[in-house]
Amino acid sequence: MTYIVKTNQLTKVFEGKEVVSAVTMHVKKGEIYGFLGPNGAGKTTVMKMLTNLTKPTSGDIEIFGEKLNDRSYEVLKRMGTIIEYPIFYEDLTAKETLELHCEYMGYYDKKEIAHVLDLVKLTNTENKRVKDFSLGMKQRLGIARAIITKPELLILDEPINGLDPVGIKELRELFKMLCKEYGITIMISSHILGEIEQLADTVGVIKDGRLMKEVSMDAVNRSQSNYIELIINDGKKAAFILESKLNITNFKLVDDNCIRIYELTASQKVLSKTLIEHDIEIEGISKKTSSLEDYFLKLINGGATSV
Amino acid sequence: MFNLMRLEMKKYHIGSYIKRAVFANFIILAVIFMLIFITKVEGDVDFRTYQTALGMIDSIVRAVFIIFASVLIAKFIIGEFKYRTITVAFMYPINRKKLIASKLAIVVLFTFSAIVLSTIFVTAIFCAVSESFQLLPDTLSVSIIIQRIPAVIMNAVSASCIALIPLYFGMRKYSIPATILSSILIVSVVSSNSGNFTLYDIIFIPIILAIIGISVAYLSFRNIEKIDI
Repeated sequence: MTYIVKTNQLTKVFEGKEVVSAVTMHVKKGEIYGFLGPNGAGKTTVMKMLTNLTKPTSGDIEIFGEKLNDRSYEVLKRMGTIIEYPIFYEDLTAKETLELHCEYMGYYDKKEIAHVLDLVKLTNTENKRVKDFSLGMKQRLGIARAIITKPELLILDEPINGLDPVGIKELRELFKMLCKEYGITIMISSHILGEIEQLADTVGVIKDGRLMKEVSMDAVNRSQSNYIELIINDGKKAAFILESKLNITNFKLVDDNCIRIYELTASQKVLSKTLIEHDIEIEGISKKTSSLEDYFLKLINGGATSV
Repeated sequence: MFNLMRLEMKKYHIGSYIKRAVFANFIILAVIFMLIFITKVEGDVDFRTYQTALGMIDSIVRAVFIIFASVLIAKFIIGEFKYRTITVAFMYPINRKKLIASKLAIVVLFTFSAIVLSTIFVTAIFCAVSESFQLLPDTLSVSIIIQRIPAVIMNAVSASCIALIPLYFGMRKYSIPATILSSILIVSVVSSNSGNFTLYDIIFIPIILAIIGISVAYLSFRNIEKIDI
């Protein structure tokens, strides 16, 4: 397995407080890695350490198979980044911003500017000053700046902040396209579950500076089996009937009025018929799919679960 | 390094600073003619020779461009940290020390050339006007001018190093007002003119200040590769 980014026991202490604790993460080549966590979990700090802006207190980082140190500058050529929120030299126009960026990065294909502005849907704004841009436009320009040099690794910290739903969708398509067609490895952080769910191949969940879980979306999807939710008047009695009469054992009594059946051995028709025969009132019966949201909330609230 | 300096100058539209420096020259000229006018009306005897007049020009030009340098420092360096644009700059595959050094080099070279060129320009206009309208009772000679050349160069060299001192005050809290205020303070010490005498004339004072300026620049960025942004 080729890993583009690998960290080992990465730790950062700010003023005596551990904001990132022993994070060991792996980003595979060519994948979209979703970095998920609530606000203040340490996502930005980890990403700042990956881009060498902030130096780790302990632990190490390997990018493109090379250990990062204080003087790792060359590696930055192969990366495109947005950290925290897109920051610009606001007096410059969009075009000047990208031109200068290319020169600093040592990339000299000026034709790319129009192309990349088109990709992020910022056409006809080349000569507008960045300070007159809205937050959403800045976010797009930030992405344009990050991708213009065709980096091998994109590190995007909350890139969809400040965008409208249409914009979010457009960028999602763009990220997928960049990953698929250009083979760019993308590491993207967000606190919005739905976003990560739709984009990522692998998800890393971080909370209070600790990487709670690193798991592929395939594995999450496999583990998140569908279930049938029963809303009844007497949960305990119903549970007994399920076991004794229908031989259903893989279920969970959520509370006295709710049962979740994960593995149904009898048909729904038989199920409801049997329950009614035993004087159980059924108020609702529905098929549910638990999403990444449940999975994530479980992790955040109750620590690591097994997949 | 030169390429980096070129990019930095492009980034901050150095042209607008050049325009401002030219504008400052006209203000300096206006102030000098006003001073001469006042001394004439008041019948002041101090301001009658070319020696004093040219010394005065040196002093004013130096004061103006030390403050001007602090504005450049505020924009090129302090502002990058204050507005966090340094995160953009430090994500380029460029040695942090080199990047900062190129910024400092721009400030020093700009200040040096501004002082030399402004002194030449202001002196030339002043002498031309003064000669044709007999503003001073003294007569201008080539030797006076030639004598001044090494002093002007020394003045420019030391002033462009002294101009780095505000960096220390500005970098403490990434404060632009602190940068500019400290430069005004420095100017008020080294350029205040009392009875044709300034602290700057005691040769070791500008030299020590210049050394302090260079040290400040070095110390401020010695650990730049290790700091968190």
